[in-house]
Amino acid sequence: MPAAEEVKSSWADEVELEGGSLPPSTEVLENGQKIITEYKYNEDDKKIKIVRTYKIEKRIVSKSIALRKTWKKFGEASGDKPGPNPATTIVTEDVYMQYITSKEEDNKQEDDGIDKLKALGDKNAVKCRTCNGDHWTTKCPWKDTMLVGGKMPDEKKLSAVTGAGEAGKQGGSKYVPPSMRDGAAKRTDGSNMAKRDDSYCAIRIANLSESTTESDLEELVKQFGPLQKLYLAKDKMTGMCKGFAYIHFKFRNDAAQAIARLNGHGYDHLILSVDWSRPMPNSNP
Amino acid sequence: MKPIILQGHERAITQIKYNREGDLLFSSSKDNKPNVWFSLNGERLGTFNGHQGAVWCIDVDWTSTRFMSGAGDNSCKIWDCETGKELCTISSASSVRTCLFSYSANMAVYTTDKAMKQPCEMFIIDTRIVDDSSSGQQPIFRIPISGPRISSILWDSLDEGIITGHENGELIAWDLKSGKQINRVKDHDGLVNDMQWNKNRTMFVTASKDHTAKLFDAKDLLLLKTYKTERPVNSASISPIMDHVVVGGGQDAMDVTTTSARVGKFDSRFFHMVFEEEFGRVKGHFGPINSVAFHPDGKSYSSGGEDGFVRVHTFDSSYFEYNFDY
Repeated sequence: MPAAEEVKSSWADEVELEGGSLPPSTEVLENGQKIITEYKYNEDDKKIKIVRTYKIEKRIVSKSIALRKTWKKFGEASGDKPGPNPATTIVTEDVYMQYITSKEEDNKQEDDGIDKLKALGDKNAVKCRTCNGDHWTTKCPWKDTMLVGGKMPDEKKLSAVTGAGEAGKQGGSKYVPPSMRDGAAKRTDGSNMAKRDDSYCAIRIANLSESTTESDLEELVKQFGPLQKLYLAKDKMTGMCKGFAYIHFKFRNDAAQAIARLNGHGYDHLILSVDWSRPMPNSNP
Repeated sequence: MKPIILQGHERAITQIKYNREGDLLFSSSKDNKPNVWFSLNGERLGTFNGHQGAVWCIDVDWTSTRFMSGAGDNSCKIWDCETGKELCTISSASSVRTCLFSYSANMAVYTTDKAMKQPCEMFIIDTRIVDDSSSGQQPIFRIPISGPRISSILWDSLDEGIITGHENGELIAWDLKSGKQINRVKDHDGLVNDMQWNKNRTMFVTASKDHTAKLFDAKDLLLLKTYKTERPVNSASISPIMDHVVVGGGQDAMDVTTTSARVGKFDSRFFHMVFEEEFGRVKGHFGPINSVAFHPDGKSYSSGGEDGFVRVHTFDSSYFEYNFDY
């Protein structure tokens, strides 16, 4: 990983030096880290500096393993220095295990449940709390629009009008508690819901400046409403802000408001970009 | 997880193997130099120089003192693990496809291909003392295989038997006292590429060209479980600590140029051992995976691919926290 370093001589001196040989490579051992600095010419004959940082770890192992660790390198590797040779050993970027949930099956089972309930002739067994439609509340097509505080769709009015008529009918049909319904055993109020809820009111703020702290961020967003969780991405080594943060509001319309107000808002010499937080890539297969 | 890429080979990886403690990782490829690496940091310990052809199979004994390799140059070599020096060369009539030390490493087995008018044969040799004279030594057993050739092999019940996997998908159990077949099953429809034990050697998993990996009971070769994929399976390994099986494979090497990495399905796939259901995938290789192996502590695994790279993956905590929904 290349890192910035203070320049000891002026650039003019460096240009002068360039005609000569490259500075020797150095190895520095400090607080559990080994820093190797090398100089090279790249394809364009420009001098480049390569700084590699290794973390030194100590482990306690059995005698036989420790003994093997002291073996001399042989064959093609005989010329290698102790430690991994960057020519043969490369650490790559993160990869994630993609978990395959049985989501598709879950959905199918739920649909089965609805079909079964419908088949029973119990028309109002499934009723949306938002628009009184013939579906679960979580699957309501108006779900988003309602919560953002926008206008209610026309259908809602319609159903509200007809709702009065239906209410009479509803009284006639016997109420079945959810736990007693046919599909109840199959349905789990499981991870699906929890996951959705979590990212439901979450927004992502990007293009934050390096010096942003959690308290700065809190000050910035708490004007919009109560928060549930606040996460500011920070560099492991330096503790500086990585430039983005996730905010979980208690209420979705607070979050929507925050997006509307903060997106494009100038903050600490940078222009923020704010949007809904998308679910983690490894949570959807 | 941040995989470590081991880039020591110039051609496709043929097999990777950990030693018993898991601190060393051996790899062989179609170039002629098997490599050995420290599995923890990916540091290369050395290369075993001396073969003239593609190295098909490797094995290391339980004390990690001797290393064996079989190659397409019609030879099987035994090496000193510490120095990388060749201890002996055993020449054969055709290329050596599989080789394996027995559990005690007092014996070793290697098999040759049916090629150049030579039959497929299985040789069992004494490896208690290995030096220059071992080259001319008579094998303990020399068993000609009349049917389809052997493509993978395992020692069974410590040192008393051998299980061979064949080109047509057959598995045969051999008794070494008599040198006779004692059991024979045919549950696969295609070449058995690889066989690997579980930790206590009661079951083993096979990987076959017929797009499946299967779990067998070692005692009577009873088929227990089947793990189905859409592509040929080249290798499968059982986790020593979890009920998981990792399966590696992909499009046939010869069809790779006509498929993109995305549809080639070059990911390692994780199956639940009991429920036979796939629950996770790890991407990374841009060619089919030829060999996979779990670290003996179960906390990391490696895969070697047709692309010539070995990738050492150390699992994140999410892997250990993952619970299979059932």
